[in-house]
Amino acid sequence: MTPQRPPRVLVTGATGFIGGRLCEVMALTGVFEPRPFVHSTGSAWRIARFPLDFASGDLCDGGSVDRAMVGCDAVVHLARGNRAVMRRGLENLLRAAVRHRVSRFVHISSIAVYGSQPPAASVSEAAPAKRSDSRYGNAKLEQEQRVLRYRRRHGLNVVILRPPNVWGPFGAFSVELVNAIRSHSAAIVDGGRNPCNLVYVDNLVEAIFLALWRPEAPGQVFFVTDREPVSWKRCITDHAALVEVDVPHVAEAQLVAPARERLWRDSLRALPEVITDVEFRRVITRIPLARRAMAFLSDWLPSLPGETEQAVRGWLRGRERVRRNGSSEGGYRADHPCIAAQRRAVAHSSDKARRLLGYTAPVSYDEGMRLTAAWLREARILDGLPLQKPEHQPAADANPPDEIENAKGPMIGVVPPPDE
Amino acid sequence: MRTLTIISDTHPNLTASGAGARKSGGARGSGTVRIGIIGGGAITEGAHLPAVLSSPQVELTALCDVSASRLRYLRGRFGLGRIALRDYRDVVRRVDAVILALPNGLHAPVGVELLSQGIHVLCEKPLALTRHECEQLCQAARATSSILAVGFVTRFFPSTGLMKQLIESRFLGELQSFDAEFGTPGGWSPLSGYNLARATSGGGVLVVSGSHFLDRMIYLFGDIDVVSHVEDSRGGIEANCRTWFAATVDGRPLRGHLVLSKTHRLANRFRIVGARGTLEVGDGQTRSVTYLPSGSAVRHELTAVALPPGDAEPDYFQLQLHDFVHAIQTGAAPRVDGEQATRSVALTERCYAIATPLEEPWCEATLERLARAGPQPAPRAAAWRPPALATAT
Repeated sequence: MTPQRPPRVLVTGATGFIGGRLCEVMALTGVFEPRPFVHSTGSAWRIARFPLDFASGDLCDGGSVDRAMVGCDAVVHLARGNRAVMRRGLENLLRAAVRHRVSRFVHISSIAVYGSQPPAASVSEAAPAKRSDSRYGNAKLEQEQRVLRYRRRHGLNVVILRPPNVWGPFGAFSVELVNAIRSHSAAIVDGGRNPCNLVYVDNLVEAIFLALWRPEAPGQVFFVTDREPVSWKRCITDHAALVEVDVPHVAEAQLVAPARERLWRDSLRALPEVITDVEFRRVITRIPLARRAMAFLSDWLPSLPGETEQAVRGWLRGRERVRRNGSSEGGYRADHPCIAAQRRAVAHSSDKARRLLGYTAPVSYDEGMRLTAAWLREARILDGLPLQKPEHQPAADANPPDEIENAKGPMIGVVPPPDE
Repeated sequence: MRTLTIISDTHPNLTASGAGARKSGGARGSGTVRIGIIGGGAITEGAHLPAVLSSPQVELTALCDVSASRLRYLRGRFGLGRIALRDYRDVVRRVDAVILALPNGLHAPVGVELLSQGIHVLCEKPLALTRHECEQLCQAARATSSILAVGFVTRFFPSTGLMKQLIESRFLGELQSFDAEFGTPGGWSPLSGYNLARATSGGGVLVVSGSHFLDRMIYLFGDIDVVSHVEDSRGGIEANCRTWFAATVDGRPLRGHLVLSKTHRLANRFRIVGARGTLEVGDGQTRSVTYLPSGSAVRHELTAVALPPGDAEPDYFQLQLHDFVHAIQTGAAPRVDGEQATRSVALTERCYAIATPLEEPWCEATLERLARAGPQPAPRAAAWRPPALATAT
């Protein structure tokens, strides 16, 4: 790195929650010079507030990645997207990093590599990660393996960071938690005693900064968490106070198990509501085959004998379920992200990052909460006005997402529910 | 501007008329107007090309973009003939008028050149980056008696005209205040990425979303002044801003407020408060105005008598195009002419000139601590400065 100027860092996923804050802090402190790699200019508003050296391109296009890498000293890889972006995009980036001899490649992975129920041993990074029930976690694990391969084969100075729930202004964690509380689908399970496993976005930025230059970092994997462990009870109660809603306590035994999905029955039951939707009919009837099928169905049902028609309609509708207090079907669903996340008992530790990198996690939970609340107010999320569409992290900066992004699910809990 | 080259042949039906013929009234009369579109970006694909191709009043004789692949795509998508060009200067001999849908920073240089050659111009908003550039465009139009219209399409919504009528008829009694807010997380993605830099866009959310509101405020209340303006730009373009205005209506002072965001959703409405109640137009409310009488719990949806109920939503870009054609053929002023559009650009300039920073504690509070994690003593954190006035490219 040239001492005369701040090291220039290519940041993928720069338009997302973490990438946006990373570029912001780099630009405002002058410690590093960010070069945001941007796929969609319409989502770059937060970082376009700074006069930055934007690189426009697509991670799956090796040429645009190579051009973006010119003159860069290091890379922070935050982007995610569909399978092609997760694999070919990362491969393009690693290849360009080797070709341009960048001094550091910081890959932001996730605690999700341990699956939806991280083992007790995953207190530290020493616990081996293996394929799990989490499609997103598996994709991230595969990425880690690819990154480490470049370390072994090409000597690339790679560093892997595994954050848990990243929270803070512009992040989805608090937005989704507030939404869940306001819609009465959140509850405190078994006293909310399990750890929340949070990392405030600025603390993660500190870890990224350190990973970019500390000589102890290359080849290592680090957990990055907040300084003090925070229980789910405290976290939910603090968010509930922002919207002045009381969150009930429930025992794990009271949770409603998710209904097992039955492919044919559930599909047929969903059908009437879908095909009678005006907007759906307007679009689908552009297809001649669909038009004929719809005409057949609407003629067929009334043509049945009265009792048969009623029986078919009754079967299609299924049993009537009454919702209580806005919660799911008379209780709190065990698979709601806000509930499921509370069932994980392990507290991940960032001791290794403290020891080797000098990571301090300079923002306390209380300060993070104050700053997040200020932003939630500014963004009108606490006003009951139309809610902001949460910005999922890491940023979807490349191609439109497909099954991997969908599999990731909500941000609360980091680890998505098991694959269907 | 890059050096450009022609990649396609001339249109087979082109006449030999040039700028000179047009100046003496070539397009005036009842025939179709030969029109070109300069700039093949998202607004051209989504709005201008459909409006032009389905109009009986114009014939598309040129489509110009620097990107050959983009031209190929548009030709294929819309089944266009051999009308694609990569050099806007080659458009001149093929058209009577153009729709200018280039990045904002190119409106003035390209527009002035075309107007000077007698080509009528419908320019996408904002008219230009600065008032000075706007005046150059207006001067070029005057010098050649060409029409300069500006694409503030919201002016063609029946709700805009109805609001004006209601104000002029003193429907609300004495006006007390007006306010507007519009916020969406992200949105419109210009293909060229010109929106990421002040030099090419002229500004941020105030230009992209706010210019429509500024134009409507001027249309409704006449001259308005900017009292204060706060925004979150840090040398780039602002994503959030708040502006306070003062106007004089019927000899009485009127205060207004505009909030814009490109990072979060807002109520997305334009509201005028008077002694008798409030008029409100929401985002996408093109045909009616909502009236909320003071002290009452009811809402009224008002529509103009002339507007048939239940009519299909018209193509407002085509209404705008036909207004432009009408101006060309009759010499009448278009609904939004260069002089009107200049006023909203002047207002934007004034906002940027007096801008102060928006408070963002979540952005600033931790910077000093984070800087310590850098490889060397950090340079002093970049101090926020008001954004420089936009300049011509």
